[in-house]
Order: sequence, then structure tokens, then C-alpha cells
Amino acid sequence: MSRILGLVLAGVLAVGVVVAIVASLRGTFSAQPVVTVSGVIGSEKQPFFQDPAVLAEFQRSGLNVKVDTAGSREMATTADLSRYDFAFPAGAPAALKIKTDHKAKATYEPFYTPMAIATFRPIAQLLAANHVATDQGGYYTFDMQAYLGLVARNARWTDLAGNTAYPASKSVLVTSTDYRTSNSAAMYLSIASYVANGGNVIPDDVTARKVTAQVAPLFLRQGFSASSTEEPFQDYLSIGIGKTPMVMIYEAQYLSLRASHDSALTADMVLMYPTPTVLSKHTLVPLKPNGDRVGRLLLSDPQLQRLAAKYGFHTSNPSTFNAYLKAQGVPAPPQLVNVVEPPGYEQLETMITGIDQLSKDGGTQ
Amino acid sequence: MRRLLAILLAGTLGAAIACSSGSVPGTSSPATTLSVLAGSEVKDIEPLLPDLQKATGYKLQPTYVGSLDGAQRIVAGDRSQLAWFSTDKYLSLLPGGGSRIVAQEKIMLSPVVLGVKHSVATRFGWSNNANVTWADIAAKARAGQLHFGMTNPAASNSGFVALVGVAEAFAQSGSALDAGTINADALKDFFSGQSLTAGSSGFLATSYVRGQDSLDGMINYESVLLSLNQGSQLHEKLDLIYPKDGIATADYPLVLLDRSQRDAYDKVTAWLRRPDVQTRIMQTTNRRPALPEVKPDTRFPSQVLVELPFPGSLDVVNRLISTYLDEARPPAHAIFVLDTSGSMEGSRLDSLKRALLSLTDGDTSITGQFARFRQREEITIILFNDRVYQKRDFTVNDMSAGSPDLAAIRSFVNTLQAGGGTAIYDAVYSAYQAAGTAIRAEPGRLYSIVLMTDGENNVGRDGPRFISDYRRLPDDARAVKSFAVLFGEASPAELKQVTDTTGGQVFDARAASLTQVFKDISGYQ
Repeated sequence: MSRILGLVLAGVLAVGVVVAIVASLRGTFSAQPVVTVSGVIGSEKQPFFQDPAVLAEFQRSGLNVKVDTAGSREMATTADLSRYDFAFPAGAPAALKIKTDHKAKATYEPFYTPMAIATFRPIAQLLAANHVATDQGGYYTFDMQAYLGLVARNARWTDLAGNTAYPASKSVLVTSTDYRTSNSAAMYLSIASYVANGGNVIPDDVTARKVTAQVAPLFLRQGFSASSTEEPFQDYLSIGIGKTPMVMIYEAQYLSLRASHDSALTADMVLMYPTPTVLSKHTLVPLKPNGDRVGRLLLSDPQLQRLAAKYGFHTSNPSTFNAYLKAQGVPAPPQLVNVVEPPGYEQLETMITGIDQLSKDGGTQ
Repeated sequence: MRRLLAILLAGTLGAAIACSSGSVPGTSSPATTLSVLAGSEVKDIEPLLPDLQKATGYKLQPTYVGSLDGAQRIVAGDRSQLAWFSTDKYLSLLPGGGSRIVAQEKIMLSPVVLGVKHSVATRFGWSNNANVTWADIAAKARAGQLHFGMTNPAASNSGFVALVGVAEAFAQSGSALDAGTINADALKDFFSGQSLTAGSSGFLATSYVRGQDSLDGMINYESVLLSLNQGSQLHEKLDLIYPKDGIATADYPLVLLDRSQRDAYDKVTAWLRRPDVQTRIMQTTNRRPALPEVKPDTRFPSQVLVELPFPGSLDVVNRLISTYLDEARPPAHAIFVLDTSGSMEGSRLDSLKRALLSLTDGDTSITGQFARFRQREEITIILFNDRVYQKRDFTVNDMSAGSPDLAAIRSFVNTLQAGGGTAIYDAVYSAYQAAGTAIRAEPGRLYSIVLMTDGENNVGRDGPRFISDYRRLPDDARAVKSFAVLFGEASPAELKQVTDTTGGQVFDARAASLTQVFKDISGYQ
């Protein structure tokens, strides 16, 4: 027993010495004490914050960053943020609400990613034949106006012309996350409401209430939806076309897999960009001074920016992002021209509570 | 620097000592135990757990409960650190349920499908036919040509997932079910073919094997059906039918409940989702891998399985379960054989009364509302001590609170008195005689016998005599299973003999309350 303990100790000792030496060689360990900073983030950024290289880079600046995950709307409404140094939701509307509520002085927008739809080539081709999607060579665009038309008449897959690829009698629907909790669903709602409002950002609550009934079926007809964006994307990857023929995701989720040549992504899996789309701006709201340090580092540290590219996030310097993809042999994503702004937090709230009310009234079909 | 190193060392030294203090001599690293509230359907993972422990240092300690019961316990604040059921959707829909899910990661997949005897599938033209629909299956059931088994959706996830799938398919709306699109008539047609029920998918498989000669198939996880086909217990292999209009897949998420165990949870899920482990899970459990990199092998058909949506509201799901219990499935006839011998006097008789009364009134818990006596149900109560008393029959045509039907049961229960000896086998045998008579009058019901006793048999028939008398019963009466409640000084061996002989199961009420046990048993009725 004591021999084992001795061996264990020797091992631990060796590791400890190496850690200490490495730390001292990097010149920062002894220069400033490491402080633990805790944040609450959207689940889509968890892989980034779990990456040892990212954690080491923060350590170099004296920060030991610990994160919990929560839905963006949850962060803006019910979550207790008092134990956190920063909140880092996936979208600007929730971030602005947190900023106002917590009287934060600044916000940081170190990354962004456009909303995209992960689908399968036969589905994209079928939609193209039915004038809902367009082949852009390497990727597709998805006509939101035409799609809202399909949803308005509750079209089934079997209603589409020339459909031999996917003879399912279920409704043509893009799978999304739970509109009540998740940022990616709120971004989807932003796009749909823009189109439903005749190509204008929802300016006020009156308009928000007016379009609610039109956009509600996009969500309610799906029935159960997951609260984190990773979940339906995992279903897309593992269960596939039978469950999730189209799923609303962050472009970053798809690109990070492409860039790492992950075999989960088969040749059949293609990306469609909704037209118009919105950019999900990952916005860090510092709640305490140490949170502010995290925000500044993410925005300015070149190594962190490079690491963010690895997870598919666009950064303030486009060349970092494109250089990384190029090095991985992945074509640069398209320059999207038809990008619109999400509505304000209040208008999103009005639509979300309106859809929820319709759900309780049972009027979804 | 030197000072830092010293602090570092002191820290690691402390950690090393702390670690070693819990270890058993001879083992190098002590395991940390993680408590897991689990469904019995994940029991087949147990053989992997020693390797999980070796690789991660974490020992999973499962406690098995029914699926809705598990969801209810979690909402009520169960202290388990993890949960592992075949789905977490019901939990997510419960008020306060979603917020208990700190993280969830899918570990494996298995669609719920219909297994039909090969000869029957061939006769129906279903063998190797990818165009069979749920409506085709319902038509055969309605015509009396298809008799199948399925678990109780209020107790077990395979039945729950199947019920949702069938109801979604019959709604024909293309979208998720809502209260207005529950098609009770179509469900009635479909479930008219159900002649076997069970409280868990494993028990269903065992019961199917036992009664296979009078059944045509069963609805169960693809994994359970594949495993049965690989074994030698079936007289005839089952063709797996994946209805074209869609199926529902169980995805077995491992759920983190205790936020402080995040690191442990990440390590455990990372191991379970390692490609080699996923392959091993596929090979040993016949479930499909959840990791997209690991492709399902040839044991699974390659056809695309259209997945049906799942309802988005608790209200819809609860209405669906009620529709199933009160309208769609064949009504139940439960025969209760209750010991009122002298040893039951006092608190035992009181808790028996409480347990029975809870089946008649507003136990408003999730499991309570589905476990209570349902619309259309027949209840027979046979009391015994050293003799067997005249049976009493009750019918629940109105299950609303305070209805005369329920009041009749309640007032009878309140008259129970204890005294005398214990004639277990005579009482159970008389229940079988009563069952036989009832089946001839109403063959379409789902029959069950519940035996509750707190002592050993000391009057009347003995065990061997009971078994030989039971064997001489007509087939349909013999098919009725007895579920025995082990209470007080009852003999585990005696009760196991009754349940083994009749294909039932023993429920232990020495640790749990009688009320809880009666609720659990209702999942099998």
C-alpha cells in the first residue's frame, strides 16, 4: 500500500514540477496570480471553452475560466446570474437585455456565425426542383418566403412535385430548438418574422402581435423540441434524414466538423442558407471586472481568435477565419448579402409569449 | 517559484492522501460512486460498467424504477446524480422537469417497432414489405387476426413511445399531435389486438416467450426483438415491421442532475461515446450507435426510418395516456386476493386499506393518476384467512372522484377486519376459478391476479397441490398472471413459486409502502 502511495506521489510530484516549470518558462505564472472567473454561456460555445488550448491561453493571462451552460433566453430572464463574472449568450437581443438589467458598461462581440440549415443533398435538390431552394454550387440558398408559403398550406413532403427522394407524409418543417429557451430558435423566429412582415424588421409590439399567428406553426407543428442547439444537430448526424431532414443550426456547428474532417459529416450532408438570414452575434456581457478581462481577451488575443476559427466562428478579423479553413482544405463559406437584423428583445418576447399562448389554446393545426 | 512549488506539492500530497485513504488495499485507484436513477431497459449495459470504472474511475450505481415514476421522482427532488431512461421527453415536459436536466447526451438508439411471427407476416404480405402502415396493422387487429403484446404506456417507455407513435400516425396531420387530433376510434381499432400487457419491456419479452403460442407478435424496442431472434426461446422468429408512416425512436440520454458532478459526467459520457465502446454497445445490446461516426452494421435494415414528431405539451401526452387507458385498450379485470388473517390486525390492515383506497381516489401524483382504477375496469376482491370468502365484484363505469362506483369499493374496503389463519393457495386457486368464469363471459379483457399476504400458508391446499390444480385449469385461465405482494412475514419462496408458476412477479412491500407497490403493480394490469 505504502509503495503504491509512494509511486503515485512520485508521479504527481513529477507532473507538478513539469507544470510549474512550463508555467514559469512561459513567464506569466509567477507574474500575476491566477484568478478563477466563472461565466454562463450558450451551449454552442461549450466545446470552445473546454478546449485545453483555450483554457491554457486564458491561464497565460492569469485567468482560470469556468463555465456553465444555459439557454440564452433563460440567461436574460430566469437564471440567477449573481454568481457569474460574465454572461455570454449566443445572440445580441438577449445580451442587450442582460446588459440593461445588470447595468453593464460594455459588451463584447468577439465572434459571430450566420444561421444556416443543415440538410441532405436529395432534400436540397427536391426543394430546388420545387423552387424553394437554389443550388449555388457547393451550398444552397433557401427561400424563406416560399417556405412560409408551404407552411401556410401545411404541405407534406409527399405534396412536393417529383418527390421520390423522401416520400414521408409528415409536414415540411425545419427542425429547430425550443423557441421559449434557445437563441437559435429566436434567430429563426427573427428571420421568419422579417419575411412575414413583408421584408421588414419587426419594429414594434403591435406588428409583433400581428405576425405571431403566421410564424407560430413553424414551431408548434414540430411538437417537442430540444432546448439546446447541439441536440437536433446530433439527431441530424446520427439518426439522419428520417428524423431531421432539415435543421436550423449555427453555420459554425457544421463548419467545425468539416474543418476537422469529422467522419460524422458525410458527403451527402450539405448546408443551405436561409434567404434572408441573420447573424448570431455571440455577445459577452461582463457582470464583474474579471468578466470584462475575458471579453477583452476574446476580442484582442490572436491565439484565442485562431482557436475560435477552429470551432467555426467568424471573428472580427476575417483573414484569421479564412486562413484556418483554407489550411484545412475547406472552401470559405459564402459572403452572404441578404443579412437582416433581429428585432429588439421586447418584440421577440412578444412573439414568443404569443406563440406560447397559441400553443396553450391548442390552435396549431 | 520555490514557494509556489511547495504549495503545489502540499496540495497534491494532500490530494494523494485523500485519494488513497478511501482505497481498498491492492487496488490502485478508488472509484467514486455516481448514483443513477435508471429504467430497467438499460440494465443490459451493466456488463460494461466494470470497464467504465476502470477507464474513468467512476462506478455507476443504478436504482431501477418505472419511467413515469422516475420522472416524477426527479421533479420531486430525487437526489440521484444521474438519470438514465430510454427517453427524457416526458421529464422535459413536466413543470420543473426541464430545469432539472443540467446536461443530457444520447448514448444509443432503438426504434420501437412491431415484431410479428414470420408465418403471420407472410400471410399478411408484410414480410420484406416496406409499405406497411399503422392503419394496415390496426385493420388486422380489428379483424381479430393479430394479437400482440405491448407494455403499459403509463409505466414503461416502450409502450409510451409506441403509443405516441401510433397516435401521431393516426392523427394524419403531418405535424405534432395536439389534443384535438387524438383519434380515439383509430386507437381503439389498433389496441383491440392487444392481448398482453406488462410493466416493463423485459417483462413483456419474458411474457411473450411464455405465451407465444397464443400470440402473433409484440411491440417492443428493436433491440429486444433482435435479441429474442438471436436466442433460442422463440418457436418462431419475428419479422420486424417498421411502418412506413413513421416510428418513434428511443435515444437513451444520460442525464446529469447534480451540477457539481459535471466533470464526472463529462468523463462518463465521453467514454460511453468512444467509437470502440459504441461498437461494443451495438454488438452486445443490439442498439444503434448514437455516435454518427460509428455506422449501424447489417443487423439493422438500411431503409430510412421516418421519425414521427413527439407532442410538445404535457397536457396532450397525459390526455393520450388517459385515452389509451379509458377508451382504447381492452379494459382490465383485476382480481385482488387479500390476506385478512389475524396477523394483519392493526397497522398492517390500515396500510392495506390505504393502498386500496389510493387506487380509488385522487392521488394526484403523475403515477397515481394513471395507476388508479380506470374507466371500464372490473375489480374483484377475494378476502381470505383460514377460509376463502365470497368474492365481491365491482365495475368502474364512472371514475370521477366520489362516484357511486368508487364509493362502493371504498365502503367495502373500510369494512375489512382481521382474524384467523392463512389459506394462501386455496385463495389463489379460487381467484383462478373466478378468472375462468369471467373470461368465458368477457374474453376481451386483460386479466390479472394480485395476491397480498403477510404470512405463510398454514391452512388448506399446499404448494404442490396448488400447482397441479393450476395445471389442470383451461388454457385461458392459466394465462392469467399472478403478482404477489411480499408483506410482513410472508414467505418469499412460497410467493415466488406462485409467480413463477403463473408467469407473474413478486413485489416487495417490506421496504416500500403498500400504496407504492400497488401503484407499481397497476403498470402490469
